[in-house]
Amino acid sequence: MTFAQPTARPPRYRRTRARRIIRNTARALLPRRIGLRHRILISFGAGAMILSAILAITTYGFTRSSFVQQRTTAEINQAFANAKRVQTDLLADPADVIGSLEQFGSAQRLLYSNGVWTSNSKGFTQADIPTALKTRVVTDVKAANMIVDHGTNAALIVGIPLEQAHAFYFELESLRETQGALRSVFIALMLSGAITTAVGIGLGLLVSGRTVRPLVQAAQAASAIAEGRFDTRLETTQDRDLEMLTTAFNDMVATLQTRVERDARFTSDVSHELRSPLMTLAASAQVMHSRRDELPERSQAALDLLIGDVARFQGLVEDLLEISRFDAGAIRLINEPLALLEFVRQAIAVSSLPRTDVIFAAETDQILVQGDKRRLARVFANLIDNARIHSGGKPKIIIQFADDDPTKSRVWVIVEDDGSGLIDGEEEKIFERFSRGGTAGQRAGSEGAGLGLALAAEHIALHSGSIWAENRRDGIRGARFIVDLDVFVQNEPALGAQRNTETSS
Amino acid sequence: MAIRVLTVEDDERIRASVKLALEDEGWIVDEAPTGEDAIAIFQNTPADVVLIDIMLPGIDGFELCRTIRKLSDVPIVMVTARVDTHDVVAGLEAGADDYLTKPFAPKELSARIRALLRRVRPSAPGHSKLVFGNLEIIPDEGKVTLGGKDVPLTKTEFRLLCELAHDPNGVFSREVLLDKVWGHGYFGDGRLVDVHIRRLRMKVEVDPAEPTHVVTVRGLGYRLQS
Repeated sequence: MTFAQPTARPPRYRRTRARRIIRNTARALLPRRIGLRHRILISFGAGAMILSAILAITTYGFTRSSFVQQRTTAEINQAFANAKRVQTDLLADPADVIGSLEQFGSAQRLLYSNGVWTSNSKGFTQADIPTALKTRVVTDVKAANMIVDHGTNAALIVGIPLEQAHAFYFELESLRETQGALRSVFIALMLSGAITTAVGIGLGLLVSGRTVRPLVQAAQAASAIAEGRFDTRLETTQDRDLEMLTTAFNDMVATLQTRVERDARFTSDVSHELRSPLMTLAASAQVMHSRRDELPERSQAALDLLIGDVARFQGLVEDLLEISRFDAGAIRLINEPLALLEFVRQAIAVSSLPRTDVIFAAETDQILVQGDKRRLARVFANLIDNARIHSGGKPKIIIQFADDDPTKSRVWVIVEDDGSGLIDGEEEKIFERFSRGGTAGQRAGSEGAGLGLALAAEHIALHSGSIWAENRRDGIRGARFIVDLDVFVQNEPALGAQRNTETSS
Repeated sequence: MAIRVLTVEDDERIRASVKLALEDEGWIVDEAPTGEDAIAIFQNTPADVVLIDIMLPGIDGFELCRTIRKLSDVPIVMVTARVDTHDVVAGLEAGADDYLTKPFAPKELSARIRALLRRVRPSAPGHSKLVFGNLEIIPDEGKVTLGGKDVPLTKTEFRLLCELAHDPNGVFSREVLLDKVWGHGYFGDGRLVDVHIRRLRMKVEVDPAEPTHVVTVRGLGYRLQS
C-alpha cells in the first residue's frame, strides 16, 4: 500500500496545475497593470458579448434549420409533383425531352435519360450535381436531395428516378430567399449582440464607477492624511460591504492620529521639560564663568567644556522643539516684508561666522521677501554653520535672481563653501533629520545634532520656497545650498518692514 | 542705589540660579514661588523690575501681571515657553514690557532689564514741556496730561511716548523704536511696539479707535502729532 499515496497525488497536482493555467491565462488576458475599473469594464463587456454571441448562435442555428427544413420539404414535394408531370410528358412524347422540361414552372431542371443529360437552363449542368447525389439517384435508383453551393447562393437539388420513363430527374431550386431571410436574421442577431455588448460595457462603466468611487475617496483621504490633515475621515455609508472598509479606514486614521500626536507631544514635552534644567545649567555656568579667573586651570578647562556643551544642548533642545512644532503643525509664522539684502546681512551678523561675505547681483539689493525674520535667520545661520563645519570656515553668500526665471519673480540666496563637496546621492539625504552625511563624519563633526538642514528645509517649505544642495558649478570643489524664495515687492524699499503695523492701527 | 529685582518662578532651582546670576550684576534679588507671594512681597518692598514666569501655580502670570500693573508702573519682563503662540501678545496686553523665552541666558536678561530701566533722554533746552494739542508731556517730571488731566503711563509707555515726541511729526519705524525703547537689535519682535502703541492709545487718545496723536503712517511706522 505504500504506493497508494503517490498514485493519489497526480490528479491533485494536475488540478492545481489546471487552476494555475486558468489563472495564468486570465492574468495574460487581464494583466494586473489594467486597473480595477477597466477590469470590471472588460469583464462586463466580454460577459455581455459572450452571452449575446451564444444566444445569437443558438438562435441562428435553430432558425436556420427550421427555415431550411420547411423550405426543403416544400421543395421536395414540389419536385416530386414536377417529376411526375415530366414523366407523364416523357411517356407521351419520349422524343421531346426539352419540351417536357420547359413546359411549366421556373425551376431549373436536368434530365438524364439514355446516357444523355438534358437541361432547361445553362445554369444547371451535370457538373453541378455532386457525385454522391448522382450515385444515390442514378446507381441506387433512390430519390435524394442535397443542399449545395450554387454560384453565390445555396441551392437545393432534388434527384428523383423516373422509373417508368427510364430517366432521372434533377431539379435545382435556389435557396436565395431563404438565405436572404437568414441573413436578415443574422444581421438582427449581430445587431442585438452588439447592443447587448454596449449595454454590458455601459453597465460595467456604471458598476465600476460605483465600485471604484469609495476607493477613489479612500485614496483621496489617504493622501490628505499623508499631507498631515489627520482630521480627514471617510463618510460612513449604509452599504454593509463598504462599511467594513470605511470603519477600518477611519479606525486606522484615528489610531494614526493618536500616535502621531502622542509622538509630537512627547518630543514637545521632553523638550519643554529639558528647558528648566537647562535654564539652571546656563545661569549657573554663567555665574561660574564670571569667576573663571579664580578657578584652578583644570577647573577652568572643565568649565569651558561645560559652557560649550550647555550652549550646544540648548541649541539641540530648541531644534527639537521647533521640529516637534512642525510635526504638530503648530507653527505660526510671524511674517513681514523683509529687505532681503539687509536681512541676510543681519542674519550673518548673528551667525557663527559674522564676517561672511555677501555678493549680490544687480537689482537684488532692492528685493523684498515676505518672511518670519527670526525663522529665516535660523535657516541662514544653519546653512552657515553647516558650511563652516564642512569646509573649515570660508563660505560666501550670493544673492541673485533665479537662473530659470527671466521674470525675476524668484530670488536665490546661495551659501557656497569650498569644502569637499557632496558625493552622489547625498544631495537629498543631508536634509533628513539627524543625517550625518557620508563624507567620513566630516559634515556634522562634533557639532550640531544633524537637525540644522532638516529644520532649514522645513522652514523654507513653510515660506513657500525651496531649498536644495548641489556641487559648485564653477569647477572649484565645494557644495552650494540654494534657497529659492518668491520676491515680494520690488523697487519699493519704503513700503517695507512695516506692513504689520496696519493691523494694529 | 542698587536695582531691586523680583523674580516670580515656581522652579526653585531656576530661581536660585537666576538669583545668583543677577546678584553678580550687583543687584538685589527677591524671590517668590507663587503669584500670591509675589504680590505680598511687592507690596512690602516694591522692586524696580519684576520678572514673571507665565506658568505659575495658583494665579497665573497674566493675572499677576495685571495685578502688579494696578499697583505700579514698574517694568515687567515675562518669561514664556514659546514665541509664536498667543502667550506673547497676551502677556504684553496684560501689561508686560518685554518678554524672554526659556531657556534664556542671564546676560540677555540683565541687558533687557538695563534697557527697561534707562531714563528718558534729557529734554533739550526750552523743551521741558511738549505740547501736542490737548496732550502735554513734561519729560523731566515723567508727567503726561490729556486735556489737563494726568495720564498714568508705565515707564515703558512713557519712554515710548517721549521717543515719539522727540521728533514731532517725524516718522519712527518699528525697528528704530525697538532699538531706542527696548534696546533690541534687528531681530527684535515688532509685536512689542504694536502692543505698546495700542496700550498708549488707550490712555492718550480720546477715541483709541480713531487715534489723533499716535498715528500709524502706513508702511512706514508711527508718528506723534497734535
